[in-house]
Amino acid sequence: MAYHSFLLEPISCHAWNKDRSQIALCPNNHEVHIYKKDGTKWTKIHELKEHNGQVTGIDWAPESNRIVTCGADRNAYVWTLKEGTWKPTLVILRINRAARCVKWSPKENKFAVGSGSRLISVCYFEQENDWWVCKHIKKPIRSTILSLDWHPNNALLAAGSCDFKCRVFSAYIKEVEEKPGPTPWGSKMPFGELLFESGGSPAAAQTSGGSGGWVHSVCFSHSGNRLAWTSHDSTLCVSEGGKNGTLTSLSSETLPLLCVTFITENSLVAAGHDCFPVLFVYDGAKGSLTFGGKLDVPKQAAQKGISARERFQNLDRRASETQNTDKDLNTLHKNSISQISVLEGGRNQCTKFCTTGMDGGMGIWDVKSLESAMKDLKIV
Amino acid sequence: STATLESPINLKSMSLDCGKKPVQAQLARANSTQVVQFTTCELSSKELLLQPVIISRNDKEKVLIEGSINSVRVSIAVKQADEIEKILCHKFMRFMMMRAENFFILRRKPVEGYDISFLITNFHTEQMYKHKLVDFVIHFMEEIDKEISEMKLSVNARARIVAEEFLKNVSFSNSFTCKTLNKDDQELKYDFHCFLFFCCSSENEETRKNAFLLQSWPSLWSVHIRGDKL
Repeated sequence: MAYHSFLLEPISCHAWNKDRSQIALCPNNHEVHIYKKDGTKWTKIHELKEHNGQVTGIDWAPESNRIVTCGADRNAYVWTLKEGTWKPTLVILRINRAARCVKWSPKENKFAVGSGSRLISVCYFEQENDWWVCKHIKKPIRSTILSLDWHPNNALLAAGSCDFKCRVFSAYIKEVEEKPGPTPWGSKMPFGELLFESGGSPAAAQTSGGSGGWVHSVCFSHSGNRLAWTSHDSTLCVSEGGKNGTLTSLSSETLPLLCVTFITENSLVAAGHDCFPVLFVYDGAKGSLTFGGKLDVPKQAAQKGISARERFQNLDRRASETQNTDKDLNTLHKNSISQISVLEGGRNQCTKFCTTGMDGGMGIWDVKSLESAMKDLKIV
Repeated sequence: STATLESPINLKSMSLDCGKKPVQAQLARANSTQVVQFTTCELSSKELLLQPVIISRNDKEKVLIEGSINSVRVSIAVKQADEIEKILCHKFMRFMMMRAENFFILRRKPVEGYDISFLITNFHTEQMYKHKLVDFVIHFMEEIDKEISEMKLSVNARARIVAEEFLKNVSFSNSFTCKTLNKDDQELKYDFHCFLFFCCSSENEETRKNAFLLQSWPSLWSVHIRGDKL
């Protein structure tokens, strides 16, 4: 495990370049900083200053080496590297609220932006006019889109929203691509078609006392047949597309998870307000989701024994036997983890992943060493 | 175990413990999503609000926790058993709320029905450790009752001293009838009230000051009065 503390401020979002030698991140302000790996150190090599509001999403297209950023100023910029500096191109998203997340499509000919305007802007480059054009997906989104993820076929898009639902839309744009073949999620895919919608509604939550919550993060598996999402009611759900489509959910005892990714077709790593990543294992045959283990290796704190007298005193004063003062968090990250990204191995054979959080730090986790460090940890 | 739950002190610590998880959970939320021009705490949509939670010991002492996508409001209703506690609590809270700017997480006005409110936004959690914020709020709730009891004790002690000093210096004229406490409390209080009233317009400044003070603390009139001194 490696941990690098970049800043004192939270890292709002980050993205890696293709060979993982550079990372672009937003230090909780209007700028994007690009750091380059220098042995064990990181040096800042670029500062991208164009946004007027906080940068809320960054994505780096590995093949075409373009960066797309979106911000609270309702704009998105596509940055291209020309003669050693990054030059921005404004993209008109036609939204009247902040943009919240952005993702390049797998073929990098489109990108999607989720916003507080309750819609998704899918943008593609129009050659004739030499500018980026966007199309909107509006129905039936009822609230802010918090997260997006593309299906490997470049046409389907999963979106998690504050209206408690996770949905799969078709973002097929006939101007830039061929009609996609059928998938377990559906076969008719005109632009904006809703192919899947999870349960959960704010009204139900109010009455039944909390079934559902804001969907913080969505992720397709490597094959695209499985979709996972985390929600503010501390649940993780996995859905398999298809006629016999199943939906499994697990309520975890942790605080809400803010980000999730598949590391194999059956294993997921998620992290959130508890400041440590956790492993989940999904069994497709049984349709079950189980908690695999906490992935942080805590420092071995000096465990002093508690005398019987102290136990009684604590029981009297705090109604619990131990003093959970938690003066110091014994986790790698000292504040919530807000984003997780796969570094090596892709989503089916991930060997390394990276987490960034509100403590301004970045953790790089090696899957093999985690497996050996924690007994009973199995990554299937 | 049942023994723990029944003890009143532990009921409070239970509620403190119970308070910790919801506060922690509520403190877990992201940046405001509805941005018009500036990020604000005003929320335009109902779905961005969490279910409010009330943890109460009885209907007079309770904590209300209201969460939303970018902030948490924690309102506390403090135990106020009698007049003095009410006044002390009110003044104490007012003192802090007037300095809310320096407090960062304090709200200038309490929520209706409560004595003090904290407003913790995503900006605060970005700048400060969340678990420390939770610990602070819990600690605050623990300490507040203690502080008010201490203040009440010291007020009573001071008033007792003042009353003694005052009554040492005073000599009753013959036109006032005074009976000792053992006989007729009512008459004593009535006459004492007249007496104080006249003392308020005395030429002696000390007498005046002490008379005013004693007038505002009727509970002090049960101070033991030695017959010969009066």
